[in-house]
Amino acid sequence: MTANAPVIRLRDVTKSYGVGAAKTQVLRGVSFDVDRGELIALVGQSGSGKSTLLNIIGGLDQPDAGEVEVLGVDTLKANDKKRAAIRNESIGFVFQAFNLLDHLTVLQNVTIPSSFARDAKDIDGRGREALRRVGLSDFAQRKPGELSGGQKQRVAIARALFNQPKLLLCDEPTGNLDSETGKEVIDFFRELNAKDGVTLVIVTHERRISSVAKRVIAMRDGMIVETTDEALAAGRAGPT
Amino acid sequence: MMPIGNLARMVTANTLRSRRHFVLSAFGIVIGIATFVLFLASTEQVSSVLEKIFPLDQVQVVAPRASLLGKDISKKLDDAIVKTILTRKEVAQALPRMNLTFPAFGRGDFEGNDLKFEVGGFADGIDGSFVQDDPRIKEQFKDWDAINDPKRVACVPPPDSPTQEVIQSPGAPNANRPAGPQLGPDGQPTFDKDGQPNYGNPCPDPDEYYCDNVDQRCHHRVPVVMSPTMIELYNGQFAKSHGLPIADTDFVKFVTQRGGLSAMRFSIGLGLTTIAGSNTTIHHRPRRVEAVLVGISDKAMPIGMTMPIQYIERWNREFQGEEAATTYSSIIVTLRDKGQLAPFAQWLQDSLDLRLEDSLGQKFATVMFVIRLVLVLISLIIIAISAINIAHNFFMQVTERRRELGLLRAVGATQHDVRMVVLGEAALIGLIGGILGVLFGVAMALGVDYASAHYLPRFPYKPDTWFHFKWWIWMGGLACAAGFAVLGGYLPARKASTMEPAQALTQN
Repeated sequence: MTANAPVIRLRDVTKSYGVGAAKTQVLRGVSFDVDRGELIALVGQSGSGKSTLLNIIGGLDQPDAGEVEVLGVDTLKANDKKRAAIRNESIGFVFQAFNLLDHLTVLQNVTIPSSFARDAKDIDGRGREALRRVGLSDFAQRKPGELSGGQKQRVAIARALFNQPKLLLCDEPTGNLDSETGKEVIDFFRELNAKDGVTLVIVTHERRISSVAKRVIAMRDGMIVETTDEALAAGRAGPT
Repeated sequence: MMPIGNLARMVTANTLRSRRHFVLSAFGIVIGIATFVLFLASTEQVSSVLEKIFPLDQVQVVAPRASLLGKDISKKLDDAIVKTILTRKEVAQALPRMNLTFPAFGRGDFEGNDLKFEVGGFADGIDGSFVQDDPRIKEQFKDWDAINDPKRVACVPPPDSPTQEVIQSPGAPNANRPAGPQLGPDGQPTFDKDGQPNYGNPCPDPDEYYCDNVDQRCHHRVPVVMSPTMIELYNGQFAKSHGLPIADTDFVKFVTQRGGLSAMRFSIGLGLTTIAGSNTTIHHRPRRVEAVLVGISDKAMPIGMTMPIQYIERWNREFQGEEAATTYSSIIVTLRDKGQLAPFAQWLQDSLDLRLEDSLGQKFATVMFVIRLVLVLISLIIIAISAINIAHNFFMQVTERRRELGLLRAVGATQHDVRMVVLGEAALIGLIGGILGVLFGVAMALGVDYASAHYLPRFPYKPDTWFHFKWWIWMGGLACAAGFAVLGGYLPARKASTMEPAQALTQN
């Protein structure tokens, strides 16, 4: 991957679920690039295909057709091992439902990507550093059940940051948080993008995220309908 | 691929976090493995007891019985036959046995009881090299008359009893009973009220030697071994019916309890019998020898006594002539490989017109094999059902843990990693279940042994334990448990690994 190459390159990506009469076309020829250091907001109505698109970018789902290149790797041609390695080393995921493992401590949750890495070093130290960045240094030995929603999401973000990813994919990261906590998370993302240069793609209904995004991609019925700051300027990217 | 240490840590943490799942999954394995090891250990023990009674490592060659006008015309088993058998490459050893072919009866004292028993027909001889069960037998079971023995000194034998055909073996001299015969005022030997001569054994080592009536010299007593069957018959029936103490199957303990090897001595009246009307023609006048029981050996004839073959040869020659001294009753053949039994038996029949004696051991071994097969099948069915149970539980688990498994994929797990995590959990449950099953099996075995020792009456060959847990039974149980558990976990693991992570992560 060259320095100027896009972090994400999508061409005519299509995806459908079901067969026959029950077949639903979720993505209809989506194409766009994301450059290094961008903060993209993917907005649109429920069912518009934005989460599916995010999963395809992250290699958690496969498109029916099209081209998907992430961090210089053609994820359609890459095998399962290669895709898993990219997810482990270069991509961080933040989900709306946090997806923490309740039987593990906060620190163990944060360091879980190291379970699948060869020669992982200073695991606990890196885990504690990730927790420090999200302001949860004192919560390392707690269980997720003892945390508030905002704290859980911060643990999930720390987990996503554990391997210092180049790309952070966030699916409705503030969807389960109150507005104050949501604002803290958004501020953290903005800082992460500005200071560390991490590329972020955030699927959201949240107007505030759209307001901090460098680019807003609006989707409807599996297609991109608007791709500019114009949507932002027109104030049409918020919840519908 | 996930490093093995990380896999082990994750599998252990996942297994221990849900006790309900663990108990539900492992229960069947525990029961299955407990029955598996218990059945195997019990059949192993029964087989070893049966093999002790009916040794399988040797076969007995006999001549088919044939008679003409009441006369035995069976083929003669002699040294030439033994040599011919030894030419076969599958034969490692061929040793003849010879029966005592004329009447004889024994007389001994046991716990103050005067015991008389028939020896003719219940005694045979075999080479000393074949009977090497323990150091005592190795040292004692040989032809003492063939060696240059400095203790074979001249002596005055005990006088014949006026009232008894065969006297008891006289004891060592003491203050009341000096060495040699005690003479009365008339210069004649004196006897006690039972007709036993007042006589102290004058030989240099009276515990082992006796004074022979024929050559009037001290001879080592004839060493005799008995089979465990005899001890079991004695303990199971004879001792009870005659009010005698139970003999310990450990011969060393038995001898110690009785006061040393000397207590095991007895007289044999060669040419005499306890059976009225015996019409065997003998070529020699009856005489008395002394013998001593030196050990218990499964090489001894099952019902009777066995001594070094040289004694039997000499006595048969003395009392029945050369033909009896050169005709063997059977030849014990040790094969290099049990698998060569069939061709050897065929060769025997075709070339020598001989056959193998029906081996009860082989029949029992076959029966035991079938019984073991059935029991192992039953336990394997139980384990297989428990594997199905594991599969069911793991399918439920995989469904319940979709989000978790999806998350593992999101943070870098490959399909193979997820499959190994689930299979590892199944294997660990199997292994722990297997260990618990083996322990449960051993506990049940101890319970059965306790009940057997306390509530089951004594009977021949009643074992101290009904179970023999050999190392391969333990290992087999554990391997079986882990193997079946992995088998049960395979399909759920496959389902888990092929799950679309995107869908799994959105599942509620």
